Amino acid sequence: MGETTVTLIDSRDSNITVKLFAILKDVVAKKEIILLVPHGGTVGILKNQIIQEYPSLNSFSNKFIVSVNHKVATDGTVLHANDEIALLPPVSGG
Amino acid sequence: MILITEDSINMDLVVNQLRDNSIGAISIFMGNVRDHGALGSITELYYEAYTEMAKNTMTEIEKEVLARWKIRKFVAIHRTGNLKVGETSVIVGVSSEHRKEAFAACKYAIDCIKSRVPIWKKEKSKRGNKWVEGISLSK
Repeated sequence: MGETTVTLIDSRDSNITVKLFAILKDVVAKKEIILLVPHGGTVGILKNQIIQEYPSLNSFSNKFIVSVNHKVATDGTVLHANDEIALLPPVSGG
Repeated sequence: MILITEDSINMDLVVNQLRDNSIGAISIFMGNVRDHGALGSITELYYEAYTEMAKNTMTEIEKEVLARWKIRKFVAIHRTGNLKVGETSVIVGVSSEHRKEAFAACKYAIDCIKSRVPIWKKEKSKRGNKWVEGISLSK
């Protein structure tokens, strides 16, 4: 009998919407994606989930950054249900 | 004044916004769409912004400028959407009593806008389109 993987979903886990911009939006062909993030999850966890669920973004993973509520976040930033989150490629304005 | 807009920039309004009888210098940087880029000859640039964050970041830059130099007025405008060759995509303007601080503040502000504000441009040419490789936002 093979092993069965069971994913436990905590009722406090959150569906988090992540806005995509520029080349990242084109690669995924979506303006935003929704991911289930565990309660107390961090930006680092979110980034890993994004790459797992959207492998086409893997080649950009060392270039994009995550913003939380319009501020550049670090991997240790803890996410909350109502945060506004975006994935930002290197900027090229001007 | 901080603005992200799809509309073309009215330079008379920008200069009037910067005018003040107490200042002797106005320094303005205009960024225009070139006719060539990584793809060779280009026809248009397409600009996309994360508007809310872009405005917040430009306001932070304005505060840094006002804290660092004796500046009377500050204007920063960035356009979005499709811009044709020759059109102005970005304006930074500062006014101050003397030219030295106006030049320095204007250079600081446009350098910060290009490296810190979440705006992206795509080159459009007859051979195709390509997002311009930019500067990674620092953490």
